[in-house]
Amino acid sequence: MNMQTHAIDMQALGRQPTSNLDTADTSLKVEDLRLFYNQDAQALHDINLEIPRQRVTAFIGPSGCGKSTLLRCFNRMNDLVDGCRIEGSIRLEGDDIYAPGVDVAALRRRIGMVFQKPNPFPKSIYENVAYGLRIQGINKKRVLDEVVEKSLRSAALWDEVKDRLDESALGMSGGQQQRLVIARTIAVEPEVLLLDEPASALDPISTLKIEELIYELKSRFTIVIVTHNMQQAARVSDMTAFMYMGKLIEHDSTDKLFTNPAQKQTEDYITGRYG
Amino acid sequence: MSSLADQIPAYLPAWRRFKDRAATATISGGGASVLVAILLIFFYLIYEVLPLFTGASLEPRAQFAMAQGVQSEYVAIEEQGELAMSVGNDNVVRFFQTEDGAIRDSVELPGSGGTLAVVAQDSPESRLLALGYADGTVRLMRHQYRITYPNDQRLITPAVEFPNGDAAFTLSDQAITALAVRDAEEGLVLVSLHDNGELHGLRITRDENFLTGEVEITEESLSLPAGGNTVSVYVGSSQRWLYLLGDDGSYRVVDLKHRGADIVLPVVDRGQLFEGRGNLSASALLLGGISVLAASDEGELAQYFMVQGEAGPRLQRIREFDTDGETVTALIAEHRRKGFAALGQQGRIQLFHTTAHRRVLDEQLDFSLPVEPHSALSPRGNQLLLQQSNGDYRGVALDNKHPDISWSALWDKVWYESYPEPDYIWQSSASNNDFEPKYSFSPLAFGTLKAAFYAMLIAAPLAICGAIYTAYFMAPALRRKIKPLIELMEALPTVILGFLAGLWLAPFIEDKLTGVVIILLVMPVGVLLFAFAWSRLPVNLRTQVPDGWHAALLIPVVLFLGWFSFAISDAVELWLFGGDMRVWVTNDLGISFDQRNALVVGIAMGMAVIPTIFSIAEDAIFSVPKHLSFGSLALGATPWQTLVGVVLPTASPGIFSALMIGMGRAVGETMIVLMATGNTPIMDINIFEGMRTLAANIAVEVPEAEVDSTHYRVLFLAAFVLFLFTFVVNTLAELIRQRLRIKYGSL
Repeated sequence: MNMQTHAIDMQALGRQPTSNLDTADTSLKVEDLRLFYNQDAQALHDINLEIPRQRVTAFIGPSGCGKSTLLRCFNRMNDLVDGCRIEGSIRLEGDDIYAPGVDVAALRRRIGMVFQKPNPFPKSIYENVAYGLRIQGINKKRVLDEVVEKSLRSAALWDEVKDRLDESALGMSGGQQQRLVIARTIAVEPEVLLLDEPASALDPISTLKIEELIYELKSRFTIVIVTHNMQQAARVSDMTAFMYMGKLIEHDSTDKLFTNPAQKQTEDYITGRYG
Repeated sequence: MSSLADQIPAYLPAWRRFKDRAATATISGGGASVLVAILLIFFYLIYEVLPLFTGASLEPRAQFAMAQGVQSEYVAIEEQGELAMSVGNDNVVRFFQTEDGAIRDSVELPGSGGTLAVVAQDSPESRLLALGYADGTVRLMRHQYRITYPNDQRLITPAVEFPNGDAAFTLSDQAITALAVRDAEEGLVLVSLHDNGELHGLRITRDENFLTGEVEITEESLSLPAGGNTVSVYVGSSQRWLYLLGDDGSYRVVDLKHRGADIVLPVVDRGQLFEGRGNLSASALLLGGISVLAASDEGELAQYFMVQGEAGPRLQRIREFDTDGETVTALIAEHRRKGFAALGQQGRIQLFHTTAHRRVLDEQLDFSLPVEPHSALSPRGNQLLLQQSNGDYRGVALDNKHPDISWSALWDKVWYESYPEPDYIWQSSASNNDFEPKYSFSPLAFGTLKAAFYAMLIAAPLAICGAIYTAYFMAPALRRKIKPLIELMEALPTVILGFLAGLWLAPFIEDKLTGVVIILLVMPVGVLLFAFAWSRLPVNLRTQVPDGWHAALLIPVVLFLGWFSFAISDAVELWLFGGDMRVWVTNDLGISFDQRNALVVGIAMGMAVIPTIFSIAEDAIFSVPKHLSFGSLALGATPWQTLVGVVLPTASPGIFSALMIGMGRAVGETMIVLMATGNTPIMDINIFEGMRTLAANIAVEVPEAEVDSTHYRVLFLAAFVLFLFTFVVNTLAELIRQRLRIKYGSL
C-alpha cells in the first residue's frame, strides 16, 4: 500500500507555505534528556532534539506521551513540580539552562509560555499586557503604552479591545483571552514561544485565528507548539516531532513526517490507528 | 430503548421525587430556622430593651378631703404606698390611707405653745424631720412604719418617735421661716432662718468612745451671715455646704466646715441662679443631697452642684430642663433615683431625670384649685400625692420604671455629681442607695475596640504572613503538618487562654517588661537578618535544604532570640531604664502601668484570633488557581512578584474575610478580656492600661443585676449594641468582599 494515501493531504488543509528549514540555526538543543517524577517514574527517555530558530516546531503524540512535559522543560516549569528530577541538558543558544546558578526568572523571560487554558490575570486588559514589563521594573507610561499597543496588534487583538483597555480581561471571550495571553507573553520579547495546546479549549473560529497568529509570529520568534490535533500540527508547523511513551520516535520536517514517515509507529499514529 | 425503560422499577420515579422533595424541605427548613433563631434573638433583645425608652404614664385617682380646714406643712408616703403622713399646721401628725384619706392614726405633737411654722426633712430615706415653730424652737421627729402579718394580711402600724424626746432646740426667739436639717453618722446640723432675717446654725456632734461605748454629745453654735432675702436653706449631705437661696434668684453658699479665725462662717460663692431673669419659684435638694434644683417664675428649671473651680469651690449650673414655659411651684425629689417631679400651679405634672437629662412625662391634670407646694412622691416613685389649696388631696399613680436612660446618658459626656467636669463613666452600682448610676457605653465601646485593635495588631500580621508562607512557599509535606496544628489552636478553650494570660502572662510581662519589649523588637529584625545571611551563603550549602523547608531552619533562631532577649534584658534595663522599666514608664514617660493591660490582652487574644485568620487566609491563598501563578512565573516573574502581583490580589476577598471574621471574634471575645484586662472601664489608648469590653461587662454584671431593673435592661442594651456592631461590621465586610470578588473573581 502506498503510504501517501494514508497520510494527511497537506494541500487540502489550507497549509501555510513552509519556511526553508536548511537556513535555520538551532535555537534549543536537547541532549540525552531524562526526566523522573518521584525517584523512579521516568517520564522522558533520552530525548535528543534540535529546535530551529524562527520556525514552528510541533510536538504530537497521544495523551500522556510526555510532549507537554518536554515543553515545560524548556522554561523549567517542571521545577515547580514536587519531586521532579532532570538529567541531560537543554541549551538555549548554547547556554545550558539547567546549569547551577541560572536565573530561572530571567530564563523564563527569554522563553515565554502560553498554557492550554487561557489564564489572564484578574486585572485590566492593559495591565495584563503590561505585567511582564512592570515586573522587569519598566513603569514609564510612554513605554508601556507603546509596548501594549504593539503587542496587542501583533496578537491581532488591538482593534477588538483598543476602546476597553481598562476593562477587566475576565470579560473577554475565551479566544480573545488566549490571544491576550499571547500578547502578554510576546510583550516581553522572548526568544522562544512555547504553546501548550493553545487552541484546545477554543472554538474552531478562535482556533483559526490562533493558527494565523502563530504563522504571523514565527518570523520573530522560535515557536514550539504542543498539540493533540494532527491537522493543526500539519497546518502550522515547519518541523514536527512525534513522541510516544516518553520517547521521541521521529523528528523531521512536517512535510516529510506527515507524508513519508520513517517509523512505523509514526505512520500508525498519523493514520489514526491509535485512535 | 423501551427495554431500558422496562428495567426501571415502577416505584422509583415516585421514590426519587419524594427524596428530592424531602431534601428540599429539610434544607429550606434548616436555613429558615437559622434565620428565625437570629431574628428571635434580635427581637428578644429589643423586647428587653424597649422599656428603657418608653416614657412614663400616670393615672389620676379620686380626690378626697382628709381633715377639714387643716393645711399640711409636710406630706410623705411610706414604702408600700398604702399610708401617707401629714404634719398639719394644727400640730397634729396624721397617718391616712392614700386611697381614700381615711385617718388611721393621729398623734399630737408635744407642743410648746407655738404653732408649727415650717417642716424640714433630712434625706427621705431617714424619715427624720425638723419641725420649726413660730416661737423659734426646733424639734426633731421621725415617722416609722412597722409591718406585721396578722391573719396573713399586711398590717402597717405607723408611729412617731422623737429622737430628742420632748427637748427642743432654741436657736432664737423669732419665728422660724425656713429650716434645714442634715443628719449623719458623726452628728446633726440644723440651720434656721428667722423672721428678723437672722440665720442660726447648730451642729450637734456625737462622739462615741469606742472603748467604753459612751456617747458624748457636744452642741456647737454656728455663726452664719445675715439671711438677707433668703427664702430657702439647704444643707448638703456632707454637712459642709449651706445653700441659701434668695427670692430674687440669688444664691450664696456657706462653708460650714471652714476652719479659721473668722467669727462668721464665710460665703464661698455667690451669684444668680437664673442670671437675673426671674425670681425663685421652687427649689429642692436632689436625692443624695449634692444637687440643688431651682425653678424660676419665668419657667426656668436647672440643676446645680458644687464644683471645685480654679478660684475655689463654686456652685455650678449643670443642666437646664425644658419645662415648656411652665412655672414650677413645687419640686419633689425621688427617693431612690436622681429624678424629680416638677408641679405647676394648675396641676401640670412633669417628671424629669437629671443624669439622663430627660423629661419622661408631661401631663396636665384637671384641677379646680391651685396645687400646694407640699406634695409627696412615694419611695418607690409610683405614687404622687398632691395637695390642693383647700387642703384636699389627690393621688396620682405613676408608671415610671426607667427614667434614667437616654441617648445622651449612654453615649455623650455627662456631668455627674461631684465630678469636676463632664466625662464618660461606666459605674453601674455602688454601696449607697443615693448613688448616681453612670451608664455610659462610650468607655465600654472604646474598650471593646481597643482590645480588638491590639489583638488584631498582633494577630493580623502574624496570621497573614504565616498564611502566605504556608500556602505559597512551604513544601506541601510540611504544610500538611503545620496547617492542622495551627487550626488545632482554635479548639483551645478561651477560658484557658484567659486563665494563662491573667495568672501567668500578666505577672510575667510585669516582671520581665524589658525582655518582652526587646523580644518584640529583636525577633522580626533577627529573623530578617538570618534570612539575609542565609541568602549570602554558598549555593551548595543552601541547596542542602529542600525548597519549602526553610521555615524549619528558623526554629533554633527563634529559640535563640527568645533566650537572648531575656538574657540581655537585665543589663539593658539597668543601662537604659535605671534598673526598672516599669518605674521608668510610669515616671519618665508619664504612662500609668497596670499589670493587666492591653499588651497582655493583645497577645492572649491575638493567640485566639490567629488560627481563625490563618486558616481562612491560607485557604484563600492556596485556592488561587495554579495556572494564574504559573502564567506569571512563565512571564519571568519571581515567586515574590507573582505573589504580590497576582496571588494576593486574587486572594484578597478571602484575606479580607479572614480579617473581618478575626475582628468579629476579637470584638465578641469574652473570657480572655474578662480575665486579663482588669475590667477597668477607662478610655485610654495606652497599651499599658486595661479596659473593659461590652462583652466582659455583660458577663461581669448580669449575675448581680436585679431582673428587669434599669441596670439589667442596660446590660441587654449593651448586648444589643454588640449585636448591631457585629451586624454592621459583617455587612460592611460582606459588601467590600463582594466588590473585591467582582473585581478579582470569576476564577
